Amino acid sequence: MTKTRLLRVALLFPILIFIVQQSWAQSKAINGKVSDEKGAAVVGASVTVKNSRIGTSTDGTGAFHINVPSSATTLVVSYVGYVSQEVSISSSSDVTVSLAPDVTGLTDVVVIGYGTARKKDLTGAVASVQAKDFNKGAIVSPDQLLQNKVAGLDITSNGGQPGTATTVKIRGNNSIRAASNPLYVVDGVQLDGRSARPNPGSTFGSTPDANPLNFINPNDIQSIDVLKDASSAAIYGSRGANGVIAITTKTGTSGATKLEAGVSYGVNAGYMKKFDVLSASQFRTGLSKYGVANQDFGGSVDALKEIFNNKLTQNYNLALSGGNENGRFRASFLGSSAQGTLKNSSLDRYIGTFGGQYKFLDKKLTIAFGLIDAHSTESILAVANTSGSAGNLISAALQWNPTQAFTDGSGNFVFPANGSGNPDAELAAFNDIATVHTTLANISASLKILPNLEYKFLYSINNSIGERNTNTYGFIPGISSTGIGDISNAKLSAQLFTHTLNFNTEIARDLRLEALAGFEYFKSDYSNNSFSATGFNTNLSQNSVTIPYTSNLQDGNVQNLPAVYVDPTTELQSYFGRVQFNYADKFLVTGTMRADGSSKFGANNKYGYFPSVGARWVLSNEGFMKNSTMFRNLSLRGSWGITGNQEFPAGASQEQFAFNSYNNASQINVANPNLKWEQTKSFDFGLDFTSKNGKIFGTVDFYNKNTSDILFQSTAIQPAPASIYFINLPANLKNNGIELSLGVTLVDHKNFSWDIRGYYAYNKNLLTNFTQNGKDILIQTGQINGQGVSGTLGEAITNNQPVNEFYLKQFQGFDKNGNQTYGANPVFAGNPNPTSTFGVSTALTYKKFNLTINGGGSAGYMVYNNTATSVTNIAGIANGRNIDLKAYNSDEKPTSPVAANSRFLESGDFFKLRNVTLSYPVGNVGMYVKNLNVFVSGSNLFVITKFSGFDPEVNVDKSNNNYPSRSIEYIPYPTARVINFGVNFSL
Amino acid sequence: MIKNNKIWSVLLLSASIVGCTKLDEKLNNTFTNQQTATALGAAGVGLLLQAAYTDLGGPFTGQDQVFSLEENTADESLVPTRGGDWDDNGVWRVLHNHTWNADHGQILGVFNGLNKINFDATNVLGFSPSKQQAAEARFLRAVSLYYLLDLYGQFPVRNPGDNLLNAPQVYAAADGATFIINELTQIQADLPSDNNPTHATQTACKLLLMKCYLNRGAWTNRAAPTFDAGDLNQVVTLGKSIISSGSYKYEAEYFNNFDVNNGTSTENVFTYPNSSGVSANNSGPQARWMMTLHYNQETNYNPNAGWNGFSTISDFYNSFGAVTPMVGVSKFAAGDISGRYADTAVDARVGGRYYPGVTDVSGQRPGFMIGQQYNEAGVALKDRKGNPLAFDPKIADDMKETGGNLEVTGIRVEKYPPDLTSAGKNYEGPAGNDIVIFRYSDVVLMVAEAEMRINAADPDALVLVNGLRVARHAAPMASITLVNPSNVEDPKTLIAERGRELYWETARRTDLIRFGVYNTIWQYKPSDNATYLVFPIPSQALAANPNLKQNPGY
Repeated sequence: MTKTRLLRVALLFPILIFIVQQSWAQSKAINGKVSDEKGAAVVGASVTVKNSRIGTSTDGTGAFHINVPSSATTLVVSYVGYVSQEVSISSSSDVTVSLAPDVTGLTDVVVIGYGTARKKDLTGAVASVQAKDFNKGAIVSPDQLLQNKVAGLDITSNGGQPGTATTVKIRGNNSIRAASNPLYVVDGVQLDGRSARPNPGSTFGSTPDANPLNFINPNDIQSIDVLKDASSAAIYGSRGANGVIAITTKTGTSGATKLEAGVSYGVNAGYMKKFDVLSASQFRTGLSKYGVANQDFGGSVDALKEIFNNKLTQNYNLALSGGNENGRFRASFLGSSAQGTLKNSSLDRYIGTFGGQYKFLDKKLTIAFGLIDAHSTESILAVANTSGSAGNLISAALQWNPTQAFTDGSGNFVFPANGSGNPDAELAAFNDIATVHTTLANISASLKILPNLEYKFLYSINNSIGERNTNTYGFIPGISSTGIGDISNAKLSAQLFTHTLNFNTEIARDLRLEALAGFEYFKSDYSNNSFSATGFNTNLSQNSVTIPYTSNLQDGNVQNLPAVYVDPTTELQSYFGRVQFNYADKFLVTGTMRADGSSKFGANNKYGYFPSVGARWVLSNEGFMKNSTMFRNLSLRGSWGITGNQEFPAGASQEQFAFNSYNNASQINVANPNLKWEQTKSFDFGLDFTSKNGKIFGTVDFYNKNTSDILFQSTAIQPAPASIYFINLPANLKNNGIELSLGVTLVDHKNFSWDIRGYYAYNKNLLTNFTQNGKDILIQTGQINGQGVSGTLGEAITNNQPVNEFYLKQFQGFDKNGNQTYGANPVFAGNPNPTSTFGVSTALTYKKFNLTINGGGSAGYMVYNNTATSVTNIAGIANGRNIDLKAYNSDEKPTSPVAANSRFLESGDFFKLRNVTLSYPVGNVGMYVKNLNVFVSGSNLFVITKFSGFDPEVNVDKSNNNYPSRSIEYIPYPTARVINFGVNFSL
Repeated sequence: MIKNNKIWSVLLLSASIVGCTKLDEKLNNTFTNQQTATALGAAGVGLLLQAAYTDLGGPFTGQDQVFSLEENTADESLVPTRGGDWDDNGVWRVLHNHTWNADHGQILGVFNGLNKINFDATNVLGFSPSKQQAAEARFLRAVSLYYLLDLYGQFPVRNPGDNLLNAPQVYAAADGATFIINELTQIQADLPSDNNPTHATQTACKLLLMKCYLNRGAWTNRAAPTFDAGDLNQVVTLGKSIISSGSYKYEAEYFNNFDVNNGTSTENVFTYPNSSGVSANNSGPQARWMMTLHYNQETNYNPNAGWNGFSTISDFYNSFGAVTPMVGVSKFAAGDISGRYADTAVDARVGGRYYPGVTDVSGQRPGFMIGQQYNEAGVALKDRKGNPLAFDPKIADDMKETGGNLEVTGIRVEKYPPDLTSAGKNYEGPAGNDIVIFRYSDVVLMVAEAEMRINAADPDALVLVNGLRVARHAAPMASITLVNPSNVEDPKTLIAERGRELYWETARRTDLIRFGVYNTIWQYKPSDNATYLVFPIPSQALAANPNLKQNPGY
């Protein structure tokens, strides 16, 4: 139904482009040209007659032509990112306008839930990042564009494979459940937040999830707004508690049809940081030091180097846009092949988008539509989160005896009997391909019923289908059978209907009211299934790999039970409203209210209510500051509100019976009909300032968040059908913090300019009143994996500690025999949540050269090195496995028993140079090529840290029973240093 | 007014496009309680009953389940830490050391696993089962309650349809025993009278009743069990009725009770059935050999297949020894790795013999493994460092192996001969060995025990014990006592005979408590006290149900 509707609109589109409406009275012709501060043409700048609706925009050369009433005296020229400028036309009909860049962003339009606002009118804490300020370099998914750009936004990748999911925390760790990422909103469409890429797990464990934003072409994004406090996020009610990230994609601009193209290539230039294991010569010394015989094979192999990927990353991007007064369109295409750090890992994507906005009925009716169609193919490696004693590709590389070749004289893989895998063989024996096809389509109609009353209807559908074929070939030893094949599928579908009514009026002199009322319905469905078999007759030798098992599953000796899972349908029905008062641009007050009904909530709590209020006092507009020589803008903000979180498994409030396998059915859960959303009350106080000359600007925020009615997997009262069930626990999860952002223009000369922006954020996380029947609850999580440490947990969620506090036995040094000793019982050993995060970016322009540098880091937290505990520990060398340098340089002996303890807890503090980009705008070339720009860019150039693992910015998913973990490194997918170069131009 | 109409018409229009939903949750692949009764179809409540049967698989198969709590805490099994392997945060050592606490993961896992049986069996009763189905369900619940009472000293019970958010009633000690005995007594007649071990039978019911009567005295006083004459007479009466029925007889080959074809064993009374190569409802019996075998055993099919963990202590092994000379079975001193037995070993339960379908395919000889191990071609195996794979009975005093021989310490025990059908593919599962829960020889030994507790010199007891020994090719004993408190491994005792017959069959801890010797010191357990006669209520369970009372000392 929806698809056909869209199709129809799509078919109409070419006709619409050529409908031109120009038929009003004319009396005076004005010609002009708009350029930027460097003299380059500004294409698509808006030119309007002041106090009227008459306007046009500049063409591809920056020129415009407009017929204005003879009474008109002033034109307003504006363009995103530049200070609007008024020019007099009373004496001249030829004008040239030079726009000055607006570094303060004050005039930027910011997305605020079901509408937009000028940044300077905001009553809430919203950070807005425009395309020109995005991170550059090796970008795959949109969240990478924001890393270290926004105070209070902490983005950690869950793995280094291209397109891996990220852990995103806005203002601290807000949840003690696994799903705690913010709500993503793309052009007004709220996403489900899950990916349809199946994750069945292999013999090596389960790999990190795919990033649910992989279907968005980063080149299509105009701006990203981060809604941090309740005043801005409460309009999203029960989905707003983890904050909201609103992505706005580019739309066409009026003017001649424009073709923009970009090509870039990237190469991996080594590991950003290596995990230090012994070199071949150190290993030899080690063998004699520890008296190990028969393990020197005479060679010299750097296993990490052998598995490093040298293939070229390629990106081809094309965008076509144009339009006029009454209609605009934009279409874009991305063909991209992102190569991972390691061989055989890649993400290939094809993304097409098509969107437009067309006005009808005397511009009273606007029809807008957007369509994203994305196809991705991932080649995934066996770099799993929870590998046990079989390890994974990284453990195989780290443990590999550096004196031994991967293959013997006749080219056959060597499989040592010491438990170490052969990395080369694992690359050859593991074949895991996932494809995901995602469509996000939306169409909206806005009708101006009255000049100040607008109704809008939006319908969107987000369909995603994923398939994954995982093969482990039978020639590899050490796995649990002779060959494993697994075919899995997943389907995700979300629909959204939104009706809003917008009203604005001037109630009294200088007092404006803007009001919004809305109704929304959201529905999402998810299902997956998996078929697997083990024990195959084929691919039993490295030289006879014929077809993947997943193409021949019936050959498996053991056909495992199919696993079919269909999530309960989740429905949300909401009523919401917002009123904003603006008194003379001095006092601004916003109030919002949302009522959310959710099918997930228990029968006794179907609806939740989420109010907020925010205010802004613009001191710089007060009489007493009007003549201030210091501030162009000085404002105080304050807000309070309640947001909710309903991310718990659907179906938890009802009693469910299920068929487990043939002839076997039982109740599977303990139902809680009282279940309701978790709520976060938050306060925010902020100060925004801009110096008189606009060269210094900044923001200070203090916030206090208190999450209560915590959705918690409580212990079921036995006898019970399951060990856990969901309750709302009357505990409090508190996050208090400060955020400081500052931007300074240090130099602003014609040939040389230098801007610096930076932020620092501090957050304190504490769980309180976390008790049951008067006793502190202590939930252990954070799986420590590997041989010898099965079942060990390293973190605790407990009362009066930060979430996921490390809970480990205290290391007490080595005894006289070189065995590690440690306390009998675990103690609270450190905080895995960064308390400080910071970022800095700078842009230097010399003549036409442009250099941007940005980096950032985190501090005040610990990382547990599980790799060192169980993979590269000293015991390995006695069996001819490689060990890490730290163990080698310690007093430990190879007979020391393996054990998880505080010895492997390391400071995670780091600073990472994320990107350096040098670009040179060649300008127009020949008759047709315009705005030719070439760049070279380096990503992840270095990291400064004391952490001994691959990357201190690590969050391997080590959750236990769905209780999340944080900051544990375990044989993760390493981060590469990447060099990109490319060229952009338009036609 | 017209404007208002416009607004309202728009609002109405929008409402009509969407409509309001009642937000009733659609479950999609599960049923509500109300739907279940009809959704089950013709098979009806039998499906719910099958779920309760399937629940037995977890707690009674895994190496970290009831097996671990019954055997690793006793003198029959332990898991030494071997350098880089099997530390597992010390969970295995504290079991053998008797220093566990209420946060031990296995103690929680078993509590939840047994209560899952308890729940699903009770649930059957809420769906109008037939008389026999109700009896089977109550039998399964009694199995779970028996183990809960024995391990934790108390158990919770719900009525069908209870609100699961409320804390259920808890029975302890004598009340608990009475509850289970009443249940079993009431259902006995409604159970089938056949001897199919894969479902509840009258024999299985009687056997469990015998266990309850016999252990009642230990449950009420674990430090110094006393035995009621009425209870002991019940044990004898029930046991004799099983023996005299003639439905069960000893297998000619002891390990036939545990191998891949043990579904046809004439000794097994109650088992968890597994099908070779079929993953549906398979409980994974392969863990029972993988947990003990060295990484390098079974090299042809699965290199690195064994987990190289579980071992037994040499004193326990020696309890087979000194009654009468047994050919090929020598008493092992610490550090003695001399032996691969002759195929003529007298006591068949020691194993070490050529076992068709296993030895010819893998070289392994089921039973106790000591000394050099061989592959199917008779080639001596090596450990991962290239040293001879010769299992050494001597284990490090603190159970932390740090020496050069850390991979080969400890006598290994292969009670379940591996499933090597299908060209060895089921070695690592899904294997077809049925997991033995109750076995006929336990009936015989319980009768003998009850007779001796009534009259220490009862001649029938010796007849029964010697009858069993002959079946196992072991020399008959001239006399027998219940237990030697100063030497738990004294071969001339009934507790030793129970050990020899039922080793690694998930009963040793219960036996040692009943014989009053659980707190004595044995190898690699330097100290003990009465607290450990019962496991703690897991901390999580205690916090959730205020009706549970923590056991003293925890």
